[in-house]
Amino acid sequence: MIKRKITEILLNGSVLFATAISILALGMIFFYVIKEGADLLSWNLIRGNYHARNYVAVLDPSFQDDTFDMPDFEDEDVYVSYRYGIALKQSRNLAGDGVIKVAYVAEGSPFTAMINQDQTKEMIAIDKDWVLSRITYLEHPSSLTSKGAASMIQDLEDPQREIFEVMFAKEGGGIYGSLITTLYLIFLTLIIALPFGILTAIYFNEFAAKNRWTKTMRSFIETLTGVPSIIFGLLGITVFVPLTMRLTPASGSNLIAGALTLTVILLPVIIRTTEEALRVIPDDHRFASLALGANKTQTTFKVVLPQAVPGILTATFLGIGRIIGESAALIFVLGAAIKDTVNIYRPSTSLAVHIWSMMTDEPPNVALSSTIALIILLIVLILNVSIKWIVSRFYTKGS
Amino acid sequence: MKTKPSSLSQIDRVTHGLLSVFGFVSASFIVLIVVFIALQGVLPFVTDNNGLGSVDLWRFLTGTVWLNGPTFVSTAYGAGFLIINTLYIAFLSLLISFPIGVLTALFIAKIAPKHLARIMRTVVELLAAIPSIVFGLVGVGLMLPYIYQLARSLGYSSGAGSGTLATVFVLALMSIPTITSISEVAIRSIDPTLEDASLALGATPTQTRFKISLLAAKSGIFSGAILAIGRSLGEATAVSLVAGNAKSGPTFGIFDITSTLTSTMLGGLKETSGIDYDIRFSVGILLMVVILITNFVLNLIKRKVGNIHD
Repeated sequence: MIKRKITEILLNGSVLFATAISILALGMIFFYVIKEGADLLSWNLIRGNYHARNYVAVLDPSFQDDTFDMPDFEDEDVYVSYRYGIALKQSRNLAGDGVIKVAYVAEGSPFTAMINQDQTKEMIAIDKDWVLSRITYLEHPSSLTSKGAASMIQDLEDPQREIFEVMFAKEGGGIYGSLITTLYLIFLTLIIALPFGILTAIYFNEFAAKNRWTKTMRSFIETLTGVPSIIFGLLGITVFVPLTMRLTPASGSNLIAGALTLTVILLPVIIRTTEEALRVIPDDHRFASLALGANKTQTTFKVVLPQAVPGILTATFLGIGRIIGESAALIFVLGAAIKDTVNIYRPSTSLAVHIWSMMTDEPPNVALSSTIALIILLIVLILNVSIKWIVSRFYTKGS
Repeated sequence: MKTKPSSLSQIDRVTHGLLSVFGFVSASFIVLIVVFIALQGVLPFVTDNNGLGSVDLWRFLTGTVWLNGPTFVSTAYGAGFLIINTLYIAFLSLLISFPIGVLTALFIAKIAPKHLARIMRTVVELLAAIPSIVFGLVGVGLMLPYIYQLARSLGYSSGAGSGTLATVFVLALMSIPTITSISEVAIRSIDPTLEDASLALGATPTQTRFKISLLAAKSGIFSGAILAIGRSLGEATAVSLVAGNAKSGPTFGIFDITSTLTSTMLGGLKETSGIDYDIRFSVGILLMVVILITNFVLNLIKRKVGNIHD
């Protein structure tokens, strides 16, 4: 009897233990991603470029020596030049290296009207949070990042020195390009996959005859669910990349090929979800429509399909989640080179591939990866809640 | 409602025809995948690879070193150890995820009060919705340091913690929701009279859950395990981050760096033509064959096991 009691306690304990591990696994993932990634989350990150952009510029020669009014800075690491109307801050970039960042630029400062030394010779202004990497002077040694912000300000304030050239950079580490790519991929994939999947689902549920041929086709589509995404990547580079190169101006792998690959990945999901929505529509509705003289096409598209909209919406959200999370197939089709300017005829990375690209770098950028992961998790969370809402709103009766 | 095409009007026949094209194209993608990957993957074995000579098929299937000699000038590819590594890792991860997944499912289906069950279902759904790359990231950031410490305290030297154990853990985490959700449905849909009979005969609720409920649902539970194995075998990005990408093997030590079919396919992405490009398709064929055979064997076992009590 005691032995049985102990066995019972052990068995029940194991169930609770297993459940606790499942909860812990989810908690651990969210906790880690929030802990590592929340710090970097900002609008600058979302709007910013990934690659730092370097500039070399000279000051406008018409500039007259002046003294600027500068606000007080509480931060100890901020140094102020009244002569040039600029405040600099000792800081760190996303990779953790020490850099000098602009903390404040006064209106009318010579740094807001410089001439870019590339072919364009355009006017360029330095802005807050940009990185000032080097200032060279006529007949004096340069101010360098390695000497620190204090030394750079000291040099600027020195009335003997005349600035020759300024080297600065708009700091990288942003995810704008990958975010736009992800949105493009979602848009392109859905406009292909949704009609395709929905029409296929209509065919199988409303029109197809019940025979072996239909059954075989269904099982072929079902088989796609079990194919690993890396295999879809291989399909993408052998079929869709050459196809899009022939049909579009693209000269290599491109976002359209990526979207086509994702379409194949999504198809079984969209077909199944739409079909489930079609199946629960009572036949009475179809009969009523047919009895009123509508033909089958009208019945299907005007009576049946509108009722399946919640199901189609669920399929859309599931699809978006899959697109956002997909990595292996896209690495194959689009490569892993992070881009700041996105063109649908060229390759670029989605957010998930952006993570992979940074994690396979030496050294891996865990902080920024976690921030992107956090963004992905938030989107996935919202999508899941939306799906739950749709299901409970439209498909649960009674409760 | 199904009607024969002959009973349709003119416009309906046109609609039927157009829609059937979509159905046909959707169904043909799997054929497209098999044909094109096979065509490309066969190239290294049948062509002379720009004078390098063809890859030896037997060596490819049984080799223990991925690439002998400098890259770009060698055809000495061996992928045999990758097959062993892939299967070894997938089954080890199932060893962890299976009990956790099934017992969590038992909790949700039979023990938890309604409210708690709903919360737990959400937990499982969320876990299933997390993209694999995030699992890989958490594996690198959270697990590798601990595994490294553990290995060092046990006297092993490990490559920063990456290797078999890390891969197994990451894959186990990813498989839990698959197993749980399918097992839960299976456990919930068993005939309640079975359990009532067991309880009426004097068995305790715990005995009933473990000896009746789980056993009655074993076919469904097994399906969950098969699906989980399939996903583990094919998972690529998360694995490539934590495996350590060994170039030879097979690896059985849990702290040693390893590599799988998928992680090898993700390596060496820079090439865009030639044998180093084509050989990835050969590994792709291998991956599909491994998944097919594993599925087939497991389904055979399922049928055998499932028949005992039926």
